[in-house]
Amino acid sequence: MACNKEVWQDLGEGFVQEYYSRFDNTNRMELGNLYSPEACLTWEGSPYQGREAIASKLASLPFKTIKHIITEQDFQPTIDGCILIMVFGQLKVDDDPPMAFHQVFMLKSQNCAWACTNDVFRLGIHNIPV
Amino acid sequence: MSDGEYDYLIKFLALGDSGVGKTSFLYQYTDGKFNSKFITTVGIDFREKRVMYKSTGPDGTTGRTQKIHMQLWDTAGQERFRSLTTAFFRDAMGFLLLFDLTNEQSFLNVRNWMSQLQVHAYCESPDVILCGNKCDLTDQRAVSEDEARELAEKYGIPYFETSAANGQNVSQAVDVLLDLIMKRMERCVDKSWIPDGTVRVNGAANPDLSESSDKSKCAC
Repeated sequence: MACNKEVWQDLGEGFVQEYYSRFDNTNRMELGNLYSPEACLTWEGSPYQGREAIASKLASLPFKTIKHIITEQDFQPTIDGCILIMVFGQLKVDDDPPMAFHQVFMLKSQNCAWACTNDVFRLGIHNIPV
Repeated sequence: MSDGEYDYLIKFLALGDSGVGKTSFLYQYTDGKFNSKFITTVGIDFREKRVMYKSTGPDGTTGRTQKIHMQLWDTAGQERFRSLTTAFFRDAMGFLLLFDLTNEQSFLNVRNWMSQLQVHAYCESPDVILCGNKCDLTDQRAVSEDEARELAEKYGIPYFETSAANGQNVSQAVDVLLDLIMKRMERCVDKSWIPDGTVRVNGAANPDLSESSDKSKCAC
C-alpha cells in the first residue's frame, strides 16, 4: 500500500510543528490559543486547568531561550474522533546542557477547529533520588 | 574509572540559580576544561573524580592516605522545569553553592538556597562552600568581594571567587569542601548520622546491592 498519510497524521504533525515553533519563537503566551478553553496540562506532575492557567504557566517558565528538537512523534486516531500524539525529543534552555523530554497531547475538533484538550509533559531524567 | 577500589564514596551537590555556571564549574573540576558550548549525552547529571586524601592530625602529622571517589551531582537545569525534590538535597554530603558575580539576583537568592539547605539537607548545618563564579568577567561584576565574604561569614562558611572559564579557585574550593567533610567524619565516632549511601567504606563490611550498582556506574 502506498504511504499516503492519514488525515489525522497530517493534523498531528501540523499541530506539533506549530506548537514547538510558538514555544521556541514567541513569548509563549500565544501557546494558549492552541488549547481548548477547558484544557488540562500536567507539567512535571503539577496540574493546570484552563487556557489562561496553561498559557501563564508556560509563559512564566524561568529561561530566556529554549529550543526543542523532535526525535520522534507518533499519532493515533481515537474512537471518539480525537487525535492522540506522543512526542519524544530534546530541549536546550539558555546555556544549560540539553535534556530529553516526553510530551503527550490530545487534540479534539471543537466548533470546526482543532484544539488541544490534554497535555502531559515530563523531562527524561531517570536518576532522580527518591 | 576502571579501578573499583576506593575507601569512601562522597556525593556533592552543586546548587544555585540557573545560569550561574554549575555545569561548567563541575566540568572544569573533573576534566580541567571549559566549554561554553557544552553539549553532553542527555541524561547524565553527575560527574565523577578520584582523589587521594591525606588526613592531618592536630600535631601536624599526616595520617594514612585514603582513596576518595567523588560524585558531583548537577541539577543540569531541571530546576527550571520543576522544584528540586527534598530527596535531591538529602542524599548529598557536601554542597557547592554557586552564584554569578555578574548577576546580583543570583547573589540575593543565596539566602533562599541556604534556608532550603538548612531544612532539607541531612543535618541543619551541612558543609557548604559559597562560590562567586565568573570572576574572570571583571568588567561585568555586580557583586563585590566584600559583600560576598560578609554573607559567607554570616553563615560561617568558606567563600571563594571562582572562574569555571579559567579554572581559578575551582579545585581549591572543592578541596576545602572535601577537607571539611573528612574532618567531620573523623570527629564522629558514631557514623550513624551519615546519610545512607552517601559515604561508604568500600570493604567487606558492607557488600550490599547498592554498592555493586554504584560500581557499575563507575565503570561506564
